Amino acid sequence: MVEAGAWWTLLAAPGLLLGFAVLAVAGDAVLDARSAGRPVSLATAVRPFLGVPRALVAQPRRMPAPDRLLWRTGVITVPVAAVLSTLVIPFGNHAVADLSVGVVWFNAMEVLTWAGLWLAGWGPNAAFSLIGGYRFLAQGLAYELPLMFALISTATGAESLRVGDIAAAQHGLWYAVWMPVAFAAYLAGVLAFSFLGPFAYPVGRDLAGGVLGETSGVDRLLLQAGRWLWLASGSAMAVPLFLGGGAGPGLPASVWSLVKTLLVLGLLVWVLRRLPMIRADRYVEFAWVVLIPLTIVQVLVPAVVNLNR
Amino acid sequence: MGTTNTVLLVVLGVLALVFGVLVFTLNSMARVTFSLLAALVCVGGVTTVLGLPYLGVVIVLMMVMEMVVMAVFMIAYMMNPAGLMPMSMLHNKRGALVISGVVFAALVAGIFLVPWRDSAALQPRDTTFQVGRALMAEQMLTMVTLGFVLLATMVAATVLATHRGRYDRFGDDLDQRPAKDPAGGGVGR
Amino acid sequence: MDVTGPALRGTAARPRVLLATLPRGTAVRLAAERLLRLRDWPQVSTPAQADLLLVAGPHCVSLQAALDRLWQDLPAPRARVHARSADEVEDALEAGRARLRSPTVQHEQAAPEEGEQQDGEQRTQEHQEGDQDAPGHAQRDHHGRDRASGRRTADDQADDAHGGHSGGRDQHDAGHRPEAEQGARGDAHDGQEADGHRDDEGHGSNGGHGGGEMEMPAGLPMAEQGEDRDGLTLDQLHVPLGALLTDWPTGLTIRLVLQGDVVQHATLEEPATPVADAAAEPFWVRPWLRAAAGDPVPVGEAVRRRMAAHMDSLGRLLAVAGWPSEVLSARRLRDDLLSGAPRAAVAPRLERFTRRVGFSRTLAWLTRGIGVVTAQDAGEAGVSGPAARAGGDVTDRYRQWLTDIGHDLRRLEESSPLEVAVEESPRGHWSAEHPPSSALIGLLPRLLEGAELAAARLIVASLDPDPDELAARTLEVTHG
Repeated sequence: MVEAGAWWTLLAAPGLLLGFAVLAVAGDAVLDARSAGRPVSLATAVRPFLGVPRALVAQPRRMPAPDRLLWRTGVITVPVAAVLSTLVIPFGNHAVADLSVGVVWFNAMEVLTWAGLWLAGWGPNAAFSLIGGYRFLAQGLAYELPLMFALISTATGAESLRVGDIAAAQHGLWYAVWMPVAFAAYLAGVLAFSFLGPFAYPVGRDLAGGVLGETSGVDRLLLQAGRWLWLASGSAMAVPLFLGGGAGPGLPASVWSLVKTLLVLGLLVWVLRRLPMIRADRYVEFAWVVLIPLTIVQVLVPAVVNLNR
Repeated sequence: MGTTNTVLLVVLGVLALVFGVLVFTLNSMARVTFSLLAALVCVGGVTTVLGLPYLGVVIVLMMVMEMVVMAVFMIAYMMNPAGLMPMSMLHNKRGALVISGVVFAALVAGIFLVPWRDSAALQPRDTTFQVGRALMAEQMLTMVTLGFVLLATMVAATVLATHRGRYDRFGDDLDQRPAKDPAGGGVGR
Repeated sequence: MDVTGPALRGTAARPRVLLATLPRGTAVRLAAERLLRLRDWPQVSTPAQADLLLVAGPHCVSLQAALDRLWQDLPAPRARVHARSADEVEDALEAGRARLRSPTVQHEQAAPEEGEQQDGEQRTQEHQEGDQDAPGHAQRDHHGRDRASGRRTADDQADDAHGGHSGGRDQHDAGHRPEAEQGARGDAHDGQEADGHRDDEGHGSNGGHGGGEMEMPAGLPMAEQGEDRDGLTLDQLHVPLGALLTDWPTGLTIRLVLQGDVVQHATLEEPATPVADAAAEPFWVRPWLRAAAGDPVPVGEAVRRRMAAHMDSLGRLLAVAGWPSEVLSARRLRDDLLSGAPRAAVAPRLERFTRRVGFSRTLAWLTRGIGVVTAQDAGEAGVSGPAARAGGDVTDRYRQWLTDIGHDLRRLEESSPLEVAVEESPRGHWSAEHPPSSALIGLLPRLLEGAELAAARLIVASLDPDPDELAARTLEVTHG
């Protein structure tokens, strides 16, 4: 069973999350080097982090009539929400706080990025940046409901909103196996709320970087960190929700959690390079006409199974 | 209720009030929207501290989505990025004052008129379950009716608001495929 | 300002580069993109994100002001270098890196945080310079005046060649604007509140769209409104795309009127031209120009150039479509083709690229139905080449490029002499009077109107006109 509330988890959870995010960035850099025809070595993997000290001392950006307060609030919200979301994610047999409404907590933190990104796009007072902020909302309206139904499927299956209960309720038969639609919708949702790869629409190159276009220095570092922290957090949450949590033969639970999280993270890093950016004007209709009905039917499956039990 | 909870309750309550006041004193639509959001998030916190974690977190979740969408609608008609014209958020001051005064008085009266039970003794173990039970068992008919009414309202409002109808999309004989839309959707209808 | 050693060393080890390509700078751009790819110096698309501004191509007077503005918007630590020809790129990059690494240089170069006076002066000079030298500039002022009643972007962004980034300089403009413009803006106030402090009392009950009497935040005029395509009355935003935008035809400027992100109106501007003595020929059609001048050019060479041109266009399209990993593959193939790699060396990778991109259902789903140019439209507009043969939407056009590349791959080794009339140049049949790109550019305004911004970028990238070809025409006309 999941133990919650040990003091060291408060430090360990953000640390682990950061570690996963760093690994994801490094993995992406290695894949990048391979397709660019550069030699791949350990140095390749750490090169993206060369810019971090620079970001900390960079000159702040000057814009005409920015809304600095809201801009800063938005930029900070994204990574902070990602870290807060890990409170309810059990790693092995430990969680910071195994809330009775853990799934809803995770969802609420994820929705905070809506506000964060919109503010980050609004603040600098630049057209492309603002359009980037709007784009995330359009994307949000598309991915959010399928993601919610995916989360509800697992909660319905376990008859609990507590993430620890959901992990325990799988009894060796992972929800990923008998709720594949929910699992797929969830993974797409993870990429979408990290606005990476196919869901990089709010920061598209066609908008000269969109929300990221006018940020520099610490602001930019925070937003970029927020993206990868969300990817890591989403991968970690996939383990208790769909992959049986820390359960597994032989090894300790925390090792299983680690292995499973890394596998999901690796899969997502690979996938985000294999697809072009999906524009919300196409994705919204697909999400509402195809994904939402599918995920609703998916919720029906565990509901019926539980009724007949 | 422990000391921590009492302190949290007071802090969140005061913050909610402060953000609520800011809604009427700030003069940028974006800031007003987000201070309203902040106030509602504090209310979500208060609800959680009062022992209804599900409702509290759901308030935060729903209000973030709702307020952001509202900001979009308000600002969609004024696309000036952040350099928006300063403008007052106060309209119909006298009427609003009367209405809010009456509502406030009614709510305060409610505090004293409702026969509260001794909460410590009867606190259910899982309030989420109680809420679900209340909504989905005793009030099932209300919820179903309410759900359909809301959905019908949304669909009807959208239909009334768009000037393009099916004849514009599918032609006079409704046989034109794919539909004639300014921008194609993702399913190719 | 505390610029510490490790930060500078880190920046110099992997500077993020804003590549600003000037007209006729294609060869320099290609050299730069190749080196940046091999060195893993990321290319960014706005000054805010950049450490190093690399200007590529021969000196161009009419874009000088725009370049200066990009430079002003680069946050310190920063460096600016200029490579006039492809051979200079390597040295320019090294020089830029050295400058980024040196604390003394960085200390001098740090843009003044509150240096309104200095920036203001710079801006005034730059403006006068622009007025005298650039024919396009008068027109810009005209636009600015037209819309002065309109909105903040009307004037400020009108001469902002970098499109969406609306420039840190505006904050200074509000205070140090030349008289004439001050008048044109009407209600622009003196910019004392340029720091975005908008909490002044007393604007209250006017309800927002009052107009004339009010002081505007930071001296930015209000938006004007117009009907949008869904029958709503929305604010209009004037946004120029070009001329130094990344992943965009070099030197081309299109002025957009946006509502939300829907293009209501698009106007072409005369492409920026380099100084007349920059004799560099347009890069992609050089074999055709040489053949037309009477030099014997082997067909294989022209075919190679055409394949590389299509690969370059594909790279740009994929960048705009948001597929960075395939952009890398496309650019790598392009660079290999240009460096004369034999067929066997590129064929397998080319095949994999065609399979991934050409057969990608997702990409086709995303680009389907956008920017339709039927074969008939193309014929009427005088378009030849892949865009005409594809006769369809963006999907058809990029697939046509890939088909053409596939055909051309078999002809890489052909050595018969190139005949200009028989062999198509990358963008269509070559003729100095009617270069194929001018027909492609002519198609743009009609195609862009009603499109969403993302679709508009895709449409431009899928036609990928080369304004350098037009400059070749003006040169020949003036010389001949």
